[in-house]
Amino acid sequence: MTHPLSELQSLENRRQFFGRTSTGIGVVALASLLNRDLFSKETASNQGRVGGLPGIPHFAPKAKRVIYLLQSGAPSQVDLFDYKPSLDKLHMSDLPDSVRKGQRLTGMTAGQKKFPVIKSPWKFQRHGESGTWLSELLPHMQGVVDDICVVKSMHTEAINHDPAITFFQSGHQQPGRPSIGAWLSYGLGSETENLPSFVVLLSKNSFHQAQPLYDRLWGSGFLSSKFQGVKFRSQGDPVLYLNDPAGGSDTNRRMMLDRLSKLNQLREKEIGDPEITSRIAQYEMAYRMQTSVPELADISNESASTLKLYGDDVKEPGSHAANCLLARRLAERGVRFIQIFHRGWDHHSNVQKHLPTLAKQTDQGSAALIADLKQRGMLDETLVIWGGEFGRTVYSQGNPKSFGRDHHPRCFSIWMAGGGIKPGLSYGQTDDYCYNITENPVHVHDFHATILHCLGINHERLTYRFQGRDYRLTDVHGTLVKDILK
Amino acid sequence: MLNMTKLLLIALPITLFTSVVAAEEKIEFNRDVLPILSNHCYVCHGPDSATREAGLRLDQRESAIGKAESGKRAVTPGNAQVSELIRRITSEDENERMPPSDGPKQLNASQIATLKTWVTQGAEFQPHWAFVAPKQPAIPKPLNTVWPKNEIDRFVLGSLELAGLKPARKASRETLIRRVAFDLTGLPPTLKEIDLFLADKSSKAYERMVDRYLNSPAYGEHMAKHWLDLARYADSNGYQYDTEREQWVWRDWVINAYNKNKPFNEFTIEQLAGDLLPKATDQQRLATGFNRNHGITIEGGIIDEEYRTEYVMDRLVTTGEVWLALTIGCARCHEHKFDPISQKEFYQLYAFFNQVPERGMRGFDPKQGIRSPLATTLEQELDAELARLKAELKKPIEIDQQLALWSRGISGQSTRGWAVVEPLSMKSSGGTTLTKLVDNSILTNGANPQKDVYEMTAETDATGMTAVRLEALTHKSLPGGGPGRHSNSNFVLSEFELIAVSLADPSQRQTVKFSRAIADYSQANYEIAKAIDGSVAGNNGWAVDGPTRKLPATAMFIATEPFGYEGGTELHFRLRHEAGFATHGIGRPRLSITGDSPKNLELYGIPANIRQIAAKKRNQRSSNEQKQIREYFLAHHSPKQELEQRIAELEKQKVAAFPETMIMQDLAQPRATYLLDRGQYNEPRDQVAPNVPSIFPAMPKTAAKNRLGFAEWLVDPSHPLTARVAVNRYWQRIFGLGLVKTSEDFGVQGELPSHPELLDWLALEFVRSGWDIKHMQRLIVNSATYRQTSHVGAAAYAQDPENRLLARGPRMRLDAEQIRDATLSIGGLLVQRLGGKSVYPYQPKGLWLELNNRPNYSKEYARGAGDDLYRRSMYTFWKRTVPSPMLKTLDAPEREFCTIRRSRTNTPLQALLLLNGPQFVEAARKLAARILIEGGSRIDGQIKYGFRLVTARNPSDAELAVFRESYDTDLEYYSNDQAAALRLLQVGDSPFDAKLNTAKLAAYTSLARLFLNLDEAITKE
Repeated sequence: MTHPLSELQSLENRRQFFGRTSTGIGVVALASLLNRDLFSKETASNQGRVGGLPGIPHFAPKAKRVIYLLQSGAPSQVDLFDYKPSLDKLHMSDLPDSVRKGQRLTGMTAGQKKFPVIKSPWKFQRHGESGTWLSELLPHMQGVVDDICVVKSMHTEAINHDPAITFFQSGHQQPGRPSIGAWLSYGLGSETENLPSFVVLLSKNSFHQAQPLYDRLWGSGFLSSKFQGVKFRSQGDPVLYLNDPAGGSDTNRRMMLDRLSKLNQLREKEIGDPEITSRIAQYEMAYRMQTSVPELADISNESASTLKLYGDDVKEPGSHAANCLLARRLAERGVRFIQIFHRGWDHHSNVQKHLPTLAKQTDQGSAALIADLKQRGMLDETLVIWGGEFGRTVYSQGNPKSFGRDHHPRCFSIWMAGGGIKPGLSYGQTDDYCYNITENPVHVHDFHATILHCLGINHERLTYRFQGRDYRLTDVHGTLVKDILK
Repeated sequence: MLNMTKLLLIALPITLFTSVVAAEEKIEFNRDVLPILSNHCYVCHGPDSATREAGLRLDQRESAIGKAESGKRAVTPGNAQVSELIRRITSEDENERMPPSDGPKQLNASQIATLKTWVTQGAEFQPHWAFVAPKQPAIPKPLNTVWPKNEIDRFVLGSLELAGLKPARKASRETLIRRVAFDLTGLPPTLKEIDLFLADKSSKAYERMVDRYLNSPAYGEHMAKHWLDLARYADSNGYQYDTEREQWVWRDWVINAYNKNKPFNEFTIEQLAGDLLPKATDQQRLATGFNRNHGITIEGGIIDEEYRTEYVMDRLVTTGEVWLALTIGCARCHEHKFDPISQKEFYQLYAFFNQVPERGMRGFDPKQGIRSPLATTLEQELDAELARLKAELKKPIEIDQQLALWSRGISGQSTRGWAVVEPLSMKSSGGTTLTKLVDNSILTNGANPQKDVYEMTAETDATGMTAVRLEALTHKSLPGGGPGRHSNSNFVLSEFELIAVSLADPSQRQTVKFSRAIADYSQANYEIAKAIDGSVAGNNGWAVDGPTRKLPATAMFIATEPFGYEGGTELHFRLRHEAGFATHGIGRPRLSITGDSPKNLELYGIPANIRQIAAKKRNQRSSNEQKQIREYFLAHHSPKQELEQRIAELEKQKVAAFPETMIMQDLAQPRATYLLDRGQYNEPRDQVAPNVPSIFPAMPKTAAKNRLGFAEWLVDPSHPLTARVAVNRYWQRIFGLGLVKTSEDFGVQGELPSHPELLDWLALEFVRSGWDIKHMQRLIVNSATYRQTSHVGAAAYAQDPENRLLARGPRMRLDAEQIRDATLSIGGLLVQRLGGKSVYPYQPKGLWLELNNRPNYSKEYARGAGDDLYRRSMYTFWKRTVPSPMLKTLDAPEREFCTIRRSRTNTPLQALLLLNGPQFVEAARKLAARILIEGGSRIDGQIKYGFRLVTARNPSDAELAVFRESYDTDLEYYSNDQAAALRLLQVGDSPFDAKLNTAKLAAYTSLARLFLNLDEAITKE
C-alpha cells in the first residue's frame, strides 16, 4: 500500500492536471476500463502505463503481451503433434492395464468393454531446421516450426470440458477465480490509451457438437470487475452499445458530452467527490472508443500480401483467420492480453471427418500470425500460445471404424512462440501409447507460472487478498518451465 | 471499552498517522499484533498442523511461550532480549531470519517494533473479537447532545469528537427523500411523494416518509435483490450448457418474507431447514430452495460423486459466508491457516448438508410444485375460471339451437369488402426476386435465402382502415404448386408488420398494432396469432401444412384502432420469415385492406354460399342446404372445441405459474460423511459426525444433529456472529461499506470493525427486537448519521475517501438494478408487479448463440415484449454464463457463487450502455413525452419538470442555462431533419405519441438522455 500522504499528493497532481485542458481529460480518460482507476492506490511504475501494481513487473519481461489461441473442445495430440510410429504395431490392440494404471475415465467411455488403440490415419513428417514433427493436417504450420516450441507433455487434472477449460483459464476447476487476462490487467495495468487491456475474440463455430463457452472464462472472479475481458464481436456493435442510437449525429454526440462534462464539473466543485471526475473521464474514453474500435476492425488498409498470408478466410469476419489478423492489430495498439476462442475440437466420433475441418479452420491463420508478427519485428515481444484444455485418448470411443477419441488429461500437446520462448524446440515425451508422460511433465499451473514469467512476473508474488487469503493464479503450485525459455 | 482514539487511528485506513504507533502506548493484541502474526507467521506457525514448523504455533499463548522443538521459547513475556521470536525476526543472518527471506512476506521496521513492544509489555493474547459474543456496550455521551437522534449517532459522534471532527450538516429534504427511496425500495421518489414530504411540516415528517417506503411492496423486492446475490440465485444451471431452471418461486418467497417482515431467525431457520420443521408447510419447504441455488451440471461424461460433492461444498461455503462471515471453505483441503477451524470440523459441518437425496449429474431432484406466495390471487382466479368452464363443458349441447343462433348472426349483413392494394415497391432482404403480377399479387423466384424479409409499400386514400388481409396464393412455378417456397411447399411467417405514414405530412406515422389475427387455415402449433405476437424467436410463426395441403391460405389482421391519414397513407408492409426453418418464404403474397367493422370481419372466413343459406329462414332451406350449413358449422364450430381449447390454455398457464422448485430434503437413512483428503471426493478418510466447530458455543445436548439443529444454533441469541454479520450487511447496503469492511470475513484475516461498540450494540438490538429486519433499516435511516449531507467538499473526501469515520452522508453510484429501474420509472415505463416468471428485456442479438450454438442444448435469447420489457431488473432472466449485459456492465455478478460485496466500478462501457442502450434511449424518449405532456407549456418549466423527475431537485440557474441551450440547439437540428427525429423516436418497442410535435419530442429526448447520464442521475447523493 502506498503511503496515505503520497496518495493525497498524487490526487492533488491529478486534480491540477484535470484543471488544465479538456484534452488533458482525454488523455487520462482512458484510465479505467481500461483498468486504470484514477484514484486507486495502484500507481504506475512504468512510463506510459496506467494502473497495475507497484513493483510489477518483478523483473525485465521478455514479452509485452500475449496472444492466446485457445482451441476449445481439446484437439487430438496424437493426430496433430505427438508422432507415434509405435502405434503402427499396436493399432487395434487393446490398451493394456499396465498403461492405463486405473486412470479414471469419463462417463462416456467408462462403460466401454474394450479400448482398442487407433493409430493416427495421417502422415507425419519432420519440418524445418529443427526437424519438428508435424501432421499433414497442418500444412501452413510446417512453414513456421522453427519459430515455435511444441510442448508434448502437458497434463491436467480435469477430465471434462467445463472444469478443464475453467482450470486453464483461471487455475481452478470451479467458477470463482479471476482469468489469466484479468490477473494481468490487475498486475500490469494497461499500455493503451484507447482500448481495453484484455480483449476476447470469439470465432464462429460450425461444428454441431461444439462445447459452449462462458463469460466466466474471461471474468475477473473476485478481482474488481473492471479487469474482466471485453468481447469484441463480429456481429452487431463490435463492443456492446458502441454505436449511437438512430437519429443522432456526430456533432450532437460531441455537444452532449461537452454539456455532460460541464454539468458534472459543476457538481464536482460543489460536492468534492473524485468519483465525479472519474465519471467525466470515462465518458470521454467511451467517446474515443467510438472511433478507435471501428478503426481497429477496419482491415481495408492491410496490404494484399498480408491478407494473402492469412488466406481467404480472413475476409470473413469471425473466422479464425480474421481473428488472428485482428489480434495482431490489437497487439500493435498495445492491448496486453488477446484471447481467441475457437470451438469444435470435441470429436467423440468420426475423427477422420471432423479433425481435418478443424485443422483447416485454424492452420493458416495461426501460421500467418507467427509470420506476420515476425516480419514486423513483434514476435520477440509477443507470446503466442495455441492449445486446448486437455488431449484425446489414443483408444477409440465407440466403433473403431468410425472412431472417436474421448477426453484425455494425462498428456497433450500445445505450442508456444515468441516472447521469451525457445524456438524450434519439441519439449517433453510421452510413452509409446501416447497415454502417459515419460519426460518433463508440464502441469497447467507450471504453464501459468511460465506465462507470467515471460511477462516479468514471479507467479508467487502476484497475489490478491480475498476472504483473508492471498490468492494467486497458480494457487499454491506451479513451477517455472525453465527449459523452454530462451 | 477500547481506547477510541487509537482505535480510530489504527483501524481506519484513512489516517495519515498510521505509522506513528507510539512505542510507549499499550499494545493491543487484536489490533496491533494479530494482523502481523496472521499475515506473516501463521502459514507455518498457525492453526494448520500439517504445515506447522518447529512445533511452534503463534496463535496460542501456551505454545508461543512454551518450548518449541528446538527447546527454545519463542516468546518470554516481558523480555524481548531473550525471546527467540524477536531474535529471529531481527537476525542479520539470512538463514536465520524470519519470515524466510525467499518468502514474499517480509516484516518492516514498524512491525518489528510493535512485536518487540508487545513482548516487552508481557505478550498478552486476546481471543479474536468476532468469536466472543457481543456484550452490551456503554453508550457514549458526546458533548454535542443536540445532534444525535438515536443510539447510532451517539456512537458515531463519540468517535468523531475523539477525532476532533464534527458531523456534516443535514442534507436537503429533496436529497433525503431520494436517498431514502433508493435505499428502501431501490426506486426514485415520485414527484407526488416528494411534494407530500416537502409539504409535511410536522416534526415527524421524515420518519413518516421512511415508514411509507418501508411499507411499500417495492421494499421487499429491493431487500430481496441483495439477498439474491448472497444466495447465488439464478435462472440457469451454470456449468457447461447452462440450461434453464425454474427457481423463481423461491425468489418470490424471499420478496414476500421481506414484505411480511419475517423475523431474521425464522427467515434463517426456514431457508436452511424449513423442511425439517415439525409439520413443515409447503411454504417452509419452498424456503429451503436457498441451498439448491448452486450450479448443477448436465455435462455428459462427468463423474457423479465429484459433482454431488461440489454441491454440498457450495452449500456449506455459502452458508458459512452468509451467516458466519467465515471462510470455512479454507478448511476443505487442510486445516484453516488463520482461523481456528480444523479440517475435521469442516467435514462435521459438511455432514449437515450432505444428506440430500441428490445426484451430481442432472441433480435437480428433490423438487416440489409449490405455489408462489405472491401468486395466490392468480391461482384462485385460474381455479375459478377452470371450474366454470369445466361445468359448462358437461352441459348437453343443443346443436340446432346453436346453429340457429349462428345462422342469424351471419345472415343479412353486408360488408364493404376488401380492396387489393397495388405494390409500389418491393424489396427482399435475402435477394429474392419479387415480381408484381396483374392481380397485384407478388410472385417470388430466384434466390431462396435462409431467412427473408419482404418489404412492400402501397398507397391508399382510405381512412378508418380496420384490417389487412394477406393471401398466400399458390402458383405453378412454386415448389409442388403450393403456397410456400420451401421444397415441401410450406412457409413460416414469423411476423407480419405494418407502418402507416401520412403522405401529406411524413412526420405523422404509426406502427399499426393488431389486436387479433384470423386465418382460414393454420398448422397445429403454428397458429396465425404467432405472426403478430412480437416474437420471431425459434420457429414461432404461421404455417399452413404445405407438405400435405398445397392450398392457398388467407390471413386477416385486425387493427387495434382504425388507421389511415387524411390526404393519403403510405403503407409499409413487412413479411418477416426468420424461423429456424430455412427457405420458408411465402411464395405469392397479395395484400388487401378494408374498413369493415370488426364484427363483420369475422364473416370473411365463411364462403358465400353458406352465408346465402344462413340468410334463409330455417323452413325455406332445402334439406341439402340444411345439411350443408350444418356440416359447415360442425366442421368449424365444434361447440366444445373452444371450451376445450380454453381449458387446455388455462391448465397450461397454471402449470407454468407453479413449476416445481428444487428444495432441500434429508435421506431417511443418513449418508455417512468422511473427511476428504485434500478435499477430493474420491479420497475419504475418517468418518465424522455432524457438529459445529469448538471455537463456538456448543449445540445444546437436546438439539437434533441435523440442519434444523444447526439453523437453530445459528440464531441462538448467544451466537457471537450471526447478528453481527447480518447488521453489518445492512450497514454496508446503506453506507456502501460495512462497519467491518470485509463483510465476507469476520475471521482473523478480516479487518477490525471501525466502530466495534456500535456493531455490538446493533447486533444486540437486532436480537432484542426479535430479529426485526425493518426495525434495523428504520433505525439506520432515521439516524442523524444517515441524514448528513454528502456534499462536503474535496478536502473531506481526500481525508476520508471511504467515509469510515461517517463524518458525512453516504454517496455512491447506484447498483445496476437501481439504475435501470430508476430509468424505467422516470420514463413512466416501469411495470410494478410482484414476482412471477423471469423475463427477457432487450439484449443485443446473438449473445447466447455466439457462446453456445449446439442444437437442443442452446437457444437464442427469446426477447420478450410488452410488459416484460419493463419489469424491475431483479426479474430479468439471470443466465449465469451470459448475464444480462445491461446489469453485468454495471457490476452485477454472474451469480455462479455467493457474492457478499459487489464491485462498484466506473468504466467507459457503462457510459456506452447508458448513452446508447435501447432500453435507456427508449426511457429517455418516454421521459421526453412526459415533459411535453405533464410539464406545462413553458420551456423552462418543462425542463425543470424533467430534471426534477430525475434528481428530485430543481436545477440551478447555471444548469438550467446549459439545458436550455441543449434543447434549443437540438430543436433546431430536429426541425431541420424530421427523418432523424423519427429514427430516434422509434428506438424501443413502445410507440411514440404521434400527436406530439416530432421535433420537440426528439429534442427533449436528447435532453432526457443528458439528464439520465448525469453523474447525479446514477448516484445516491
